[in-house]
Amino acid sequence: MPILDLGYRNWNGDRSSESLRWTVVATTGISLVWRGTWLKRFMLFATFPALVTMFGVGLFEQAARDDSYRKMFNGFLASRIEPMGPRNRMRNRVAERPQIISETTDIATQRHLAWSHMLLWYFRYPQALWIVVVIGLVAPRLISYDLRSRGYLLYLSRPLSPTSYVFGKACILFFLLAMITTFPAIAVYMFGLLLSNDPSAFLQTWDIPFRILLATLVLVLPTSAIALAFSSLTQESRFAAFAWFAVWIVGWVTYLVLTGSAMFNAEDAIKLQQRWLMISPYHVLGQLQEEIFGVLPTDQHLTGPWILCAAVSIVGFGIARWRVARMLKV
Amino acid sequence: MSNVIEIADLTKRYAGNFALKNVDLVVPVGVTGLLGPNGSGKSTFIKAMLGLVKVDTGSGSVLGRPWPTQVKSIRDRIGYLPEDDCYILGLQGIESVQMMARLSGLPTTEALRRAHEVLDFCDVGQERYRNVETYSTGMRQKLKFAQALVHDPQLIILDEPTTGLDPTQREEFLDRIHALANRFEKSVLLSTHILHDVQQVCDQVIILVRGEVRLADSLANMQRPLQAGVQVRVVRDAMRFAESLRRRGLGVQCENDTELLVQGDAFLIRKTVWASSKAEHVLVERMDEARNSLEHSFMEIVSEKNYAHP
Repeated sequence: MPILDLGYRNWNGDRSSESLRWTVVATTGISLVWRGTWLKRFMLFATFPALVTMFGVGLFEQAARDDSYRKMFNGFLASRIEPMGPRNRMRNRVAERPQIISETTDIATQRHLAWSHMLLWYFRYPQALWIVVVIGLVAPRLISYDLRSRGYLLYLSRPLSPTSYVFGKACILFFLLAMITTFPAIAVYMFGLLLSNDPSAFLQTWDIPFRILLATLVLVLPTSAIALAFSSLTQESRFAAFAWFAVWIVGWVTYLVLTGSAMFNAEDAIKLQQRWLMISPYHVLGQLQEEIFGVLPTDQHLTGPWILCAAVSIVGFGIARWRVARMLKV
Repeated sequence: MSNVIEIADLTKRYAGNFALKNVDLVVPVGVTGLLGPNGSGKSTFIKAMLGLVKVDTGSGSVLGRPWPTQVKSIRDRIGYLPEDDCYILGLQGIESVQMMARLSGLPTTEALRRAHEVLDFCDVGQERYRNVETYSTGMRQKLKFAQALVHDPQLIILDEPTTGLDPTQREEFLDRIHALANRFEKSVLLSTHILHDVQQVCDQVIILVRGEVRLADSLANMQRPLQAGVQVRVVRDAMRFAESLRRRGLGVQCENDTELLVQGDAFLIRKTVWASSKAEHVLVERMDEARNSLEHSFMEIVSEKNYAHP
């Protein structure tokens, strides 16, 4: 037997399960995108709104003990929610928005409502925008680069199906989005529990982590599906990026134009907003999150947005899978 | 296991056109050359073996596992070097090979160790730390070869592996294939247009034409001539030398000014050839047992002439 042999050697070791090979696609993708300096900067900036949310939760806990802070908290919360468009301005007009902290409601209801509102603000406004930016930065190249360099052949020549390949790619987005939504939101919740100095706070708010997870899923699934579908439809990642941002911007602007004319008439505006809601992905996701956090102002039926959300997720991932499988036939 | 691939009635159609038509094929252990003109179905056959394309009909076994029902398990035991220039943008060479090892189920650290090992074997030096998109064509071929080997597969499928390699690199590449087959008992399916490569390393040859198997035989059989004889190369005056041999009662076919084919039993005619050489003062440069040219056989099969199988 040679002392040193740099030639070929056989290998007989235990292999991991075939059903977990998609994790390699995900971890390799995460390590690749994490090399981008701009992504790291954006991810850092994206954690700042969590500090504001923490401050809000802390202010509520202070207000719960000291009435002199009540007005300050209500003002702080109103300033988070009100300036976000005609819908909320109208809500003030018709007095739909509940008073978060009032002397008449018990502390358990107040705490749940206050934390839910703060987390809704966190998901609905800053993080929804950060998600658009982070996905726009990362997702367009996830599949399109592999199509251009034919890297998919390398993946699929191993025990990996097109479905698990697409799932692995989607997990890259899931991870990044969880980093800027789920983990900071859970941290805010834990921070609130610690500040409350009240063991019953957990019993009053135990459902909030589940609402955070559901809100994350609602944000992450359809957005990742759309982004991966665009990425799979072209070998040029810039086209996919353009399509991604176009969907959000065009949807948003069209929705505002179509509903803006009736903003001073509350009843008409609510009907109009419901009619055109499906046009804007941003507003559809916003309404679903309001329902998830239990702060939907009116008794609306959100069947349409839920179906749309599910349909977009299924169709988006379906397109990505179909495109990858189709490339093999060439 | 005497055969690595046993396939029956394999048919694949693209938009009504047959890419593979009722292919019955047995690939034995060893190095097998898969030959055929462009569009003959070689790449489709390889992709079908890997389960990358769905076939219309066909069944059999690959490496003793049922095909096409267990293609994922089969892929774990096959190393595939694709013809296409394919890589993962942004990854270093070493990372690419490590990733392929992990995709085949090797633990992360072991995958890295193994990646270094096979890159050493494939003669990739410090370039392994460069991003793959900066590699030359030859380097990419070496990288793809390392990726195909990293999980120690039983069967290695190489689709045009020597494309883009300079002559020295090509010889080294063929040496590696030879070593893998002979020292490490790997079976290799080598799809190529370069007949010289096949002649150098293959034990078996399969020729596909328009999706059908035209020939599947050992290389030795293919190269065996219809008539026994000796191929003689002289420095000059082949015509005069041929006349001399004919006068001594041998059948001679003069191929050009320096080469001639002497018919008869090689052992018996040797003495006559030396005697003529001495008498005519013609220097014999080389003398081999006559072989059928692979190029000649291939051209006959592809052009559908009546190929006389030895």
